[in-house]
Amino acid sequence: MRKKLMSALLCASLTAALAVGCGGNGGGSESGGNEDGDTADDSGKTTLTMWLPPLDDDTEGNFKPLLEDFEKENNCEIKMELIPWDTYEEKWSTAISGGEGPDIGYMYAEMYPTYISSGAVIDLSDMVEDSDYDEYLYLDRGEMMGGLYGVPIVTGVPFVLYYNQDILDDLGETAPETWEDFKRICEKATKDTDGDGKVDQYGYAVGLNSGDMSNLYMLNSYIYSLIWQAGGDIYEDDLKSARFNDESGAEALEFFLSLKDYMPENVLSLSGTDAFSTVFGAGKAAFGVTRSSQSQETLFKESYPDLNWDYVTSLKNDDYGTFGAADSLSIMSACENPELAMKLIKYICSSEFMTEYHKVAPGAPLTKTEQYTGDPKMERIVTEDRDKWRPLQVGPCGSEILENLASHIQSIMEEKMDVQEALDESAEFANDTLDEYWADNEE
Amino acid sequence: MKKQKNILSVLSPYAYITPISLILLTFVAGSLIIAVCFSFTKYNIITPAKFNGLFNYQKLLRDSKLRQCIMNTVKITLMAVPLQILISTALAALIASRKDTLLGKFAKASLFIPVLSSNAVVGTIWKAILNGGHPAVSFLFGLVGLDPTMLLGDSTSAIITLSMIIVWKSMGYYMIITLSSLMSIPDNYYEAARVDGANSWNIFSRITIPLLKPTLILNTFLAIISSMQVFDIVYTMTGGGPSMSTTTMVMYAYQLTFKGGKAGYAMTVSNVLMLMVLVVVLFQQRFMKREASEI
Repeated sequence: MRKKLMSALLCASLTAALAVGCGGNGGGSESGGNEDGDTADDSGKTTLTMWLPPLDDDTEGNFKPLLEDFEKENNCEIKMELIPWDTYEEKWSTAISGGEGPDIGYMYAEMYPTYISSGAVIDLSDMVEDSDYDEYLYLDRGEMMGGLYGVPIVTGVPFVLYYNQDILDDLGETAPETWEDFKRICEKATKDTDGDGKVDQYGYAVGLNSGDMSNLYMLNSYIYSLIWQAGGDIYEDDLKSARFNDESGAEALEFFLSLKDYMPENVLSLSGTDAFSTVFGAGKAAFGVTRSSQSQETLFKESYPDLNWDYVTSLKNDDYGTFGAADSLSIMSACENPELAMKLIKYICSSEFMTEYHKVAPGAPLTKTEQYTGDPKMERIVTEDRDKWRPLQVGPCGSEILENLASHIQSIMEEKMDVQEALDESAEFANDTLDEYWADNEE
Repeated sequence: MKKQKNILSVLSPYAYITPISLILLTFVAGSLIIAVCFSFTKYNIITPAKFNGLFNYQKLLRDSKLRQCIMNTVKITLMAVPLQILISTALAALIASRKDTLLGKFAKASLFIPVLSSNAVVGTIWKAILNGGHPAVSFLFGLVGLDPTMLLGDSTSAIITLSMIIVWKSMGYYMIITLSSLMSIPDNYYEAARVDGANSWNIFSRITIPLLKPTLILNTFLAIISSMQVFDIVYTMTGGGPSMSTTTMVMYAYQLTFKGGKAGYAMTVSNVLMLMVLVVVLFQQRFMKREASEI
C-alpha cells in the first residue's frame, strides 16, 4: 500500500514537473520582443543584449574589457551571447520567432532579406549623419534593399586568389592579371611531376563538396568573382528577377568549366576548405582561393611553413571583382532603446574600440582614423585593391536562390547539364521564387 | 480503508502512465497537429503565420525538387534496408554460434560501436576517410577497383556510398535485436533436428529463419522508417550534393525552413513524409498481426 502510494506520488510530482517545464516563464514581454534585453533595473541601468558568432579565439574576453567604459558612461549593461557559426542562422530564426532575439545582432548578407522584409531589423538611415559616411569607411556596404540595415564590423577579408610562387617561378610566369593569364598558367602547372603517369600538380585547387560548409561557400570562393569579373550579377537592379543566366553569367560559368581539367579529379568530393589545405596548402597546386585575413602571413607560416605564396586580390576580365563580406551589426525592431543601441554600434566600430581590438584579433581598419595593424603583405586589400572586392548583392530569398544555383553549378561540373541549360533552369526557379515573394510583399 | 484502497487501485495505473502520456501528447501528437496546421499557412518562423489554404499542397504537386528528394529517399531505402537485414541476420547467426568465445563477444561489442556514435561524427569521419587520400584506404578500395576520393563527387556513386555507410552505421542495432531473438530459440529444436540428420543450412533455413520471422519483419520496418528519416550523415558528408543527388526529404524540409524561410511549406513536405511513414507502419502492423495469428 505504502509502495503504491509512493509510486503514485512520484508519478504525480513528475507530471507536475513536466507541466511546469513545458509552461512559459510567465514573464514574457507583451511586445513579443526580447525578454531580457533593454530593460531598466531599479537603478535605471539599461541592459542591451548583443549576439555575435565567435570572431576570434576569445571574443567575449576581448570585447568585455573594451566595453566597460561605454557601460559606465551610459549607465548600461551589455550582455553578449556568442552563438557558434554552424547553428547561427537556426538560433536566430527560432529565437526571433519566440520573441527572444537580441537588441543588437551580427548579421551577414544571406540573413538580411528575410529579416528586412519581415521588419525584424531597423533601417538605420535616419540614425547616421553624412560625417559618419566619411568616418566609417564601409558604411555604404550596410545599404541593402533600399535602406541602411547594418554597420559593417567585419570586412576587408575578401576571398582572394593565392598562388604558389615556386610553381609560377618554375613555369617562368608571374602573377596572373587576366583570365587568359590565369588559364594559361593553370594549363602549364597541371602535370605529372614524378613521372608515375598520374597528374600530381594542379593548376587550380577547387573543392565543390558542401558537406562541411554550405553550398554558398562554393559561390563565395569561386563563382561570384567570375560573374562579377564578366560584368554580371545575381539579381537585376530592381531585385525582381535573376540575371545570372545572362551572357555574362554564362561566360563566367563557361570559363569555370573550362578550368576543370586543371582542377583535382575529385573536385566534387573535396570541400573548398579541404581543397585549399590539402592541395594548395600542400604545394600541389598553382592557385587556391580562400578568405583572406589581416594575419594571413602569420597563419600560413604556421599551417604551411614550406609554402612560398602570394596573392592576387582579383583577376580582371570586363571588370575586377571578388566577394568580400561586409558582416554588420544591426538593431532589431524589438529593441526598446535603438538610440543607445546605435551609439553602442558606432562605438564598437570606432577607431577607439577597434584599434585595441585589432591588436588581439587583426582586422581591416573600419574607420578613417584607425591605423592598419595587420600583416604588411595583406595591406593592399584595404588600400590600393579596395575597389576590387565587394559584398554580395542582397536580395529576397537569397539563400534559397543561391543554394539552388550552387547545386546547378555542381551539375555543370558533373557535365550532367550544359552551362546555359543549368543557368536557365536555376534562373527559372529564382524567378518563380521572386514572383511569389513580390506577390506577397507588394499586396 | 477498503474503499480508499480501491480508489488507489483504480487511479494508480493512470498515474503511472500520465508522465509518458504528457510527453507523447506534447512532443508527438502536439507537434503532429502543429505541423498539419502550419502546412496550411505561409510561415517563415520570424513573422506570424498567414493562412494560405491549400497553396502549399498545390505547390507540392509541381515541385520537381521534392520529387527528386522523394526519389533519393526511396533509393537510399531500397539500397540500405535489404543489406541491413541480410548482413545483420548473418552476423547475428555467426555471433550466436560463437557466443561464448572471446571473438564472439568482441565482434558483438565492436559491431555495436557505430550504433552508439552520433550520425554527424560518423559522417565527418567517413568523409575524412574517403577524401583523405590515405594509401591504406586507397589500397583497400583499389582491391575492388574503386578510388575512394571520387566516391562522393558523382551523383550515382555518392548516394550508393551514403547508403553503404548507413548500412555500416546501423547494422549493429538490427544485429543485436536479431541476436536476442536467436538466443530465445530453444536449443532442443536444434538438437532434435541434428538427431534427424539435418545439416547446418537445413537447420538455419527450416528452424532459425521461420522462428526469426517476426523479428525480421520488425527489423525491416524499423530500417525502412529509419532510412526515410536520414539527415545527419547526408548533411555532413555531401550537404545534399552533388547536384541534389543525395538530398533527402528531411534535408529538404530543413533547407526550406532554415535557408529558404518557408517553414509552412517545409511542414507540408514533412506531412508527406509522415504519410509515407504511416503507410509503412500500417503495413508493419498488418504483417505483425498476420505473423502472430500464424504462430
